[in-house]
Amino acid sequence: MSRGLRKFVLTAHITFAVGWLGAVAGFLALAIIGWKSQDAHSVSAAYLAMDWITRFVILPLSFAPLITGPTLSLGTPWGLFRHYWILAKLVITLLSAIILLIHLQPIRYLADTAAKGVLSGADLQIQIQMVVASAAALLALITTNFLAVFKPKGMTRYGWRKQYEERIVSRQFPEDSQ
Amino acid sequence: MTQPPITPNRPPAPVTPRWVKIFVAIFIILVLVVVAMHLAGVDFGGHLQHMR
Repeated sequence: MSRGLRKFVLTAHITFAVGWLGAVAGFLALAIIGWKSQDAHSVSAAYLAMDWITRFVILPLSFAPLITGPTLSLGTPWGLFRHYWILAKLVITLLSAIILLIHLQPIRYLADTAAKGVLSGADLQIQIQMVVASAAALLALITTNFLAVFKPKGMTRYGWRKQYEERIVSRQFPEDSQ
Repeated sequence: MTQPPITPNRPPAPVTPRWVKIFVAIFIILVLVVVAMHLAGVDFGGHLQHMR
C-alpha cells in the first residue's frame, strides 16, 4: 500500500472509530433521558432520536471500521493476525457490530411505542437494557482506542512465525527485501 | 513454491502477555454472563416475547 493511500485509509479509520464512539455517547445520553424523564414528549423524542441515530449514524459507523481496519492491517507490515492488540480490536469491533444488530429491533420497538405514547411499566426492562448496552458499547469502544494508541506488546504465534520466516528470507535474499 | 529454510536454532515462541490472558478471561466471563442471562430469560428472549 502506498504511503498516500495508507494515510487516507488511516484517516478514514480514525474518523469512523471516533465518530462511532461519539454517536454511542449521544445514544447513551438519550437512553438515560428516555428511561428517567417524566415528560412524555422528552421520552418520545429521545427514543425517536435513538432510532434515527442508530440507523443513519451508528450502524454505518460500526461497519466502516471493519473494512478500513483490516485494509490497513493487511496493507502494512502490522498484519491482521500478527499482534494481539490488533486481534483484540478486531474481536471487540466485530462483537460490538453484531450486538448492535441484535438491538435494532428493541430500539425500533421503543421508538414506535414511544411515538404512540403507549410506553408502559412492562417496557422498563428494554429501557434499562438500552442504557446498559450503550454503556457497555462505550466502554468497549474506549478500550479499542486505548489499544490503538498504546499498542500493547505481544505477538501471536502466527506473527512470530511469519516474522521469523521473513527474516530468514531477507538474510538469504537481501536485495529482494529492500 | 520454495519454502524458506527453517534453521535448527529457531528461537522459542513468545510467551502470551498477561494483558491478553486478562482480556480472554474477561471475554469468557462476559459470554458466560450473557448466556446465563439468556437461559434465565432475562435478556433478548424476554424482550422479543414482550414485543410480539
